[in-house]
Amino acid sequence: MLNDIITPDLFASAIRMTTPIALAAIGGTICERSGVVNIALEGMMLFGAFMAVVGTTWFGGNPWMGVLVAVIAGGLLALIHAFASITLRSDQVVSGTAINILALGLTGFFMEIIFGRPGSTDAVARLQPVFDITGPTEGLLGTIWTWLDTVIFSYTPIVYMAIIIAIVAQWAMYHTRWGLRLRSLGEHPLAADTVGVNVARGRYSAVIMSGLLGGLAGANLTLEQVGTFTENMTNGRGFIALAANIFGRWTPAGSYLASLLFGFADALQVKMQLFRDVVAIPYQFFLMLPYVLTVVVLAGVVGRAVAPAAIGKPYNKE
Amino acid sequence: MVSEEPIEISDGRWRSVVEQLIVPIISVIIAVFISGLIIWAVGYDPVAAISALLKGAFGGGRQIGETLMRATPLMFTGLAVAYGFRAGLFNIGAEGQLFMGGLVAAWLGIALAGLPWIVNIPLILIGGAAAGAAWAFIPAVLKARVGAHEVITTMMFTYIARYFVSWIVTGPLKAEGQIPQTEALPPESILPRIHETFSFLTNSRLHWGFVIAVILAVGLWLLLKYTTLGYEARAVGFSPWASQTGGISVEATIVKSLCISGALAGLAGVVEVIAVHGRLFDQFSSGFGFTGIAVALLAKNNPLGVIAAAILFGALSAGSGTMQLEADVPAKLIFIIQALIIFFVAAEVFAKWIVRPFKKKAADNA
Repeated sequence: MLNDIITPDLFASAIRMTTPIALAAIGGTICERSGVVNIALEGMMLFGAFMAVVGTTWFGGNPWMGVLVAVIAGGLLALIHAFASITLRSDQVVSGTAINILALGLTGFFMEIIFGRPGSTDAVARLQPVFDITGPTEGLLGTIWTWLDTVIFSYTPIVYMAIIIAIVAQWAMYHTRWGLRLRSLGEHPLAADTVGVNVARGRYSAVIMSGLLGGLAGANLTLEQVGTFTENMTNGRGFIALAANIFGRWTPAGSYLASLLFGFADALQVKMQLFRDVVAIPYQFFLMLPYVLTVVVLAGVVGRAVAPAAIGKPYNKE
Repeated sequence: MVSEEPIEISDGRWRSVVEQLIVPIISVIIAVFISGLIIWAVGYDPVAAISALLKGAFGGGRQIGETLMRATPLMFTGLAVAYGFRAGLFNIGAEGQLFMGGLVAAWLGIALAGLPWIVNIPLILIGGAAAGAAWAFIPAVLKARVGAHEVITTMMFTYIARYFVSWIVTGPLKAEGQIPQTEALPPESILPRIHETFSFLTNSRLHWGFVIAVILAVGLWLLLKYTTLGYEARAVGFSPWASQTGGISVEATIVKSLCISGALAGLAGVVEVIAVHGRLFDQFSSGFGFTGIAVALLAKNNPLGVIAAAILFGALSAGSGTMQLEADVPAKLIFIIQALIIFFVAAEVFAKWIVRPFKKKAADNA
C-alpha cells in the first residue's frame, strides 16, 4: 500500500496544492511586514478565483486574461482594506472580516447574474503545463525520468511563478532598499517616518501587493486546478496561509517552505481517501488533516516566532 | 480589539445613548443605499427589490415571526462574538462551536427520548452550551499559553467541526434512508413554537428559543456591568497589561471568556436543531456564526444592541427569499449588505462626517 501512496504524483500534487497557500502566505508576509494585518487573504483569493473565470469568459476563453483580471480583482479588494486600515484607521481584523464576507457576497451574487445559477460557474479553458518533454520510458533511466518529469517538469505556469516569486521576494526583502523600508514600516514606523519614508504610501503598496498575490492564488485554483469556480471554494486556505506565514517567520521563502507542509498534508489526504476502505477511516477525517495540522503548527511555533513590532497598529502622523 | 465607548454617563444619559445609535443607523443606511446602486447597476429595480425585501420580512404576522425566528440564532452568535470582543478576543469561529452545540443537542435529544420535556430541554440546552464551550477551550488555552491567534485557530476548528458533523450524520447517528441526517427528535426533546400559544404569528416557525435569547441578552448585559466576571473580561479586553498589574489573571480570563463565548454560540446550534429543524444534518446552519460577527459589530458589543442588530439581520435573511422571487435579485445580496455594514461601522468616520453639520447646528442652537 505504501508503494501506492508514495508515488511521483503525490509529490507533484503536493507542489500544486502548495501553490495557492504559498502565494497568499507570501502576500501575508509582505503585508504584515509593513505593519498591516491581513485576514482578508481568504476573500481576495476567493474573489480572484471567481474573476479569473469571469475574465477568461469575457476575453473569449483566454485564461491569461483571466489571470490578469484575477490579479487586478485581488488588488482592488486590497485597496479597500488599505483604505480602511491605513487612511480610516479602522480595526484591521474587522476590515479584513468585512472583505471576506464581501467576497462571499460578490461572488455569490454575480455568479447568479452572470452564469444564471448558484453553486458553480461554467467550465473554462485552463492554463496548460509549461513543459512537454518526452524522455526515456524503459528501465532504471525510465523510472528516474518519470520522477523528474512528474516532480519537476509537470506544472502549469502559476506553480513555477510562485516559486520564482518566493525567491525574488526573499532576496528583495533583505537586499534592496524596498525591503529595508518595508521592514522598517512594520518594526518602527516612527523611525521610518523620521528618515523620510512615507509610511502610508509604503503600507498601501504592501497591502495592494498582498491582494495581487491573493488574486493570483485564486487564479491558480480555478484556472490551473479545477477549471470552474464553486462557491466558497477557497475553504479556509487564506487562513492556513496566515499560519504558514507565521510558521515561516514572516519571510517569503519561509512562507513557501511552510506552505509545502500544508500542501503535502492536502495531497496526502486526497491520496489516502483512495484507500479509505483499506484503512477503515471515514473520509471526513482525512479532510480535517490540513486544519488540524495548522492548529498543531501554530501551537508549536507561535511562542518562538516574533511578529513585526508595529503589527496591527495604525500609524498616527502628528 | 474593538473599542467600545462607555454608555453610562450620568450627565445627559439619553443624549449619549442617541449618539451611540447614530453610527450604526447611518452605517445601515449607507450600506443599503450602496446595495441599491449595485442592484440598479446590474439592471434591476432597487425600489422593487427593497420593498419586496421589506414585505418578506415584515409583511404580516407570519413574516414577522419568520424574521424573529431567523434572528434567534443570530442573537446567540452575536452575543458570543460580542462577549469575546469585550475581552479582546475575536471569536471568528462561532460557527464551529454552533455546529458542536447542534451535534450534542441532536445526540441528547435522541438519547433522552421518553423522559419528560421539563427534564430534556434544560439538559439539552446545558449540553449544547457545554459542547460549544469545549470546542472553544483548545483555542482559548492556545491563546492564553502560547499566544496562537484565535482568529486562525477558531477558524480551523470550524472546518474540523463541519467535517465532524458531516461524519456523524453520514455514520454513527445516520437515520434510515438515503439522506445524510439524524432521526427526527422525539416531541419531548422539541422546543415548541410560539404560535401554538400566540396565534397572531400564524404558523411561523418562531419558537421559545427567541425568548431565551432575549433573557440571555439582558442577563449578559447585567453580568458585564455588575459582576466580577464581567469586570475582569472588560478589563482584560481594555488593557491586558494593566489587568495583570492590577491582580487579574489574564490567562484565566482569556480561557473563561472564550469558553463563555463558545457556550453562547453552542446554544445557537441547539435552538436550530431542537426548535427549527427537529433533527441534525450537515447544512443546518446558514453561516449564523459568521453573521454573528456583523451582529456584534453593529451592536457595538452591547448585549442589548445585539437584540436589535440580530432582528435587522434576521429581517434581511427572511426578506431575501421574497426579494429573489418577486424582484429577481439574487438573495446573496444580503452578504454584500452585511459586509458594507461592518465596513461602515468599523470606519465610523463616514457616519460622523454625515452627522457633523447637524451636530454643529444643535451646538449653535444651545
